[in-house]
Amino acid sequence: MTRRIDLRRVAQYGVVVVVAVTLNFLLPRLMPGNPLALIAGVDVGMLAPEQRAEIVARVGLDAPMWVQYLRYWGDIFTGDFGFSFRSSRPIVDMILERLPWTLLITGLSLVVSAVVGVLLGALSAWRRGTKGDLSMLSGMISIESLPSFWLGMVLVSLFAVQWGLLPSFGAVTPASDLEGWAHVWDIISHAILPVTALSIVGTPGVYMTMRYSMLETLGEDYIRTARAKGAGERRVLFGHVARNTIAPVITVLAIRLGFAFGGTVIIETVFSYPGLGRLVFEAVAGRDYPVMQAAFLVFTAAILVANLAADLLYPLIDPRSRTS
Amino acid sequence: MTRVKRFKWAVLLVALALVVVGCGDDEAEEEPVATTAAPATTAAPEPADEPDEPAPAPADDEDEPEPETTTTTAAPPPPPEPVTVRAAITGDEGTLNPYTYISGFPGWNILMLQYDSLMQLDAAGVPQPWLASSVSVSDDLTEWSVTLVEGVTFHDGEPLTSDDVAFSVEFYTTNPEASRFARDFRGVADVVVHDDYSVTFVLESANPGFDVVALADAPIIPRHIWESVDIPSEHDFGGTNIGSGPYILTEIAPDQSYRFAANPNYFRGAPAVDELVLIIFADDAGAQAAIRTGEVDVIFERIPPEQIDLLDAQDPLDVILGPEFATQMINYDASLRPFDDVAVRQAINMAMDRQDIVDTVYLGAATVGSPGWIHPGHSVYNPGIEVDVYDPAAANALLDGAGYADSDGDGVREFDGQPMSFEIITNASDSLRLRIAELTVEMLAAIGIKTEVLPVDTAVWENAVWPGFDVNNGRNYQIAMWGWSPPVQADPLRLPWLVHSSLDRGFLNLTGYGNAEMDELSEALAVEPDPAERKAILGRMQEIIAEDLPFVLLLYPDGAYVYDSSVYADWEFIAGQGIVSKLSLLPPSARP
Repeated sequence: MTRRIDLRRVAQYGVVVVVAVTLNFLLPRLMPGNPLALIAGVDVGMLAPEQRAEIVARVGLDAPMWVQYLRYWGDIFTGDFGFSFRSSRPIVDMILERLPWTLLITGLSLVVSAVVGVLLGALSAWRRGTKGDLSMLSGMISIESLPSFWLGMVLVSLFAVQWGLLPSFGAVTPASDLEGWAHVWDIISHAILPVTALSIVGTPGVYMTMRYSMLETLGEDYIRTARAKGAGERRVLFGHVARNTIAPVITVLAIRLGFAFGGTVIIETVFSYPGLGRLVFEAVAGRDYPVMQAAFLVFTAAILVANLAADLLYPLIDPRSRTS
Repeated sequence: MTRVKRFKWAVLLVALALVVVGCGDDEAEEEPVATTAAPATTAAPEPADEPDEPAPAPADDEDEPEPETTTTTAAPPPPPEPVTVRAAITGDEGTLNPYTYISGFPGWNILMLQYDSLMQLDAAGVPQPWLASSVSVSDDLTEWSVTLVEGVTFHDGEPLTSDDVAFSVEFYTTNPEASRFARDFRGVADVVVHDDYSVTFVLESANPGFDVVALADAPIIPRHIWESVDIPSEHDFGGTNIGSGPYILTEIAPDQSYRFAANPNYFRGAPAVDELVLIIFADDAGAQAAIRTGEVDVIFERIPPEQIDLLDAQDPLDVILGPEFATQMINYDASLRPFDDVAVRQAINMAMDRQDIVDTVYLGAATVGSPGWIHPGHSVYNPGIEVDVYDPAAANALLDGAGYADSDGDGVREFDGQPMSFEIITNASDSLRLRIAELTVEMLAAIGIKTEVLPVDTAVWENAVWPGFDVNNGRNYQIAMWGWSPPVQADPLRLPWLVHSSLDRGFLNLTGYGNAEMDELSEALAVEPDPAERKAILGRMQEIIAEDLPFVLLLYPDGAYVYDSSVYADWEFIAGQGIVSKLSLLPPSARP
């Protein structure tokens, strides 16, 4: 690989960042609606015009668009995104409070669905065409079509309302003053249902990718050659198939890891889980420009980094991509 | 490889766009969680959409300026066993000081657990002296004099005096981001401090409703805490709020919960509930599941009509019902053809089967609307207004007579050569309102007016009906489903806000309506000192509204709240305001 190509890649990332940041700035402002009521309450309609103008000026919305745009770039470089229109709190704090909760449930469910999806996908492909393969395939297709909010509500009504086994909402028991292991168990017991819901809906995608990728590999000439050479099933599976199959799965998982930072509006809503998805949803609904800008930036960065990671991992997994 | 890479970049960009757009798309499916934003409400699932208004109320006498004096009662002994109540709310409320609380309901109500106002609404919704020991008003209604209860202290032990009262007024006025309180004191020319415990508000013009609008609404804040505050909404007060109210905020877990401890030194006596935990849910379905499992003890939001019987049937849950004076109405742009023709407005009014909407959409948990705007249970209601106006045959005859014929026989009448075909804009997040809109389409079809429901996100809907929350910006809709929160109706002196043609007085006139007699009556109402005379003026205004129809009032949803009676059962329903107030949490002897 030459230096020139690396520079091109850097430039490509640069272009994507600029485009994404510009969109992050423009999209909130292009949405119809007015954040004034969010900043000051709807009684803003009953204030004197000069009072209203003062409120607009205090949050900087009276400045020309290009000035606001440059300020956003300034925010990005200083890491200070100001205060939310809605809750009047520092946005960096708001994001940092919610990010760990989001990563807890999305991260755990990503691991679960990756492990389950890869294993079942491999099994399915290895036994392609059998009754087991076909029933697993149709089962996964049905699971994939389940709406996640419905799944979440079913889990709540069974495990929380009917059987009383697990809490129905939140990340911890409010005002419980738990400490030590009791606190850890409290967090785990609250995470079980959302992680389960996310894992269930997340598994079919991994399974499908794994299954198809492996089917493709199994049909390759070099597999036939390996078999013809008399290599054992185990050696064929791990030495030849697995390594060549895993690359597309890694790409899917890396992209999902990027999306994991975005949280999941629906699952966080069903379980009243204090994650980023809900924060962003409320910001969009109320036209909370600064929160939208900062949160979208986090998503942008996470997806770009995940993509970069996939780019860097590829040559390690698949030697063919080392030479162009 | 280059081709593959290029494709990957394209995918990446699309993925980014999807993340951004996806956030917007989800809105249609999910109930937005409490925004202050929306200016309207239904009784049910979405307290989110509430204008930020104080809630005075109906009650037996209208809110007359009372020169009488009431003294405060002594504290009863605290209950023996500590009581903890866990209450569900739907949506974060920020740090809950006067500049950071979020929703008009229940945000303001929770705010006022930590702070006090000079007056406090009683269960009938009538303002009673609270921090004030007496309130009196001059004959010309421009000077309101208040004597304070002596010995009241803030949570940090500092005394609350006239100086804090004057400071609060000045602070709210010069820092209008707390728009509700800035509005409360708009029109105060001066606050004269006579001594530590007596103060006079001098108004620029007569205001017979100053007690309801301002004195029973705005929290008094301590000068020693706030005088050094530069940007109030962004100031860090170190985690708690110093007020004088019955509860002290002790812990905030953002998007999760708030914790309040009772103020043992509260001037009306220690609260009956020792600890209050507010748990934040993302939607009302989650809160309803949690009260069934016993994870919460009360829901600080109205429950939807279909849940009332279900929850009430479950032991030990109980449902408390009461009037809230919220409204559901049809707005149209009365400055536009054909809605500028009163015959069209009257025909729409007669086409609406209000009883059917109350029965099918609200399952009976609402009161049929009076075309004259004021609730039949309100003290200023004009009983001469005919409520049962549903008559599609008469509506059709009226439109025929006014020349709106269906000349091409397609079932739709025409005006000015165009079909009478309109969009009804409504906020998609409010399922009850959406169902009303769908019934409206059928009812209007029966009189040859074709309509189509346009469900949009709340901010889009608000911006169409009330662009920038400023009536001077005009309107961008034909027909809209709309509703006001209880205070707009509960305080009848606000009626001119809805119907005055001059936009600096009619700042809630969202339909572009104007009527010279109505303007005169509005102005007379504002300076009339005699409550009986005011009632007569309001009676005439209701007649004009029922005849002239600046909007079509459909119904008044009732308030319904669910609580676990085995934990705490002394909830007080304030007419027009519901159960979320300090009255509910104080021992009955400390309530006004």
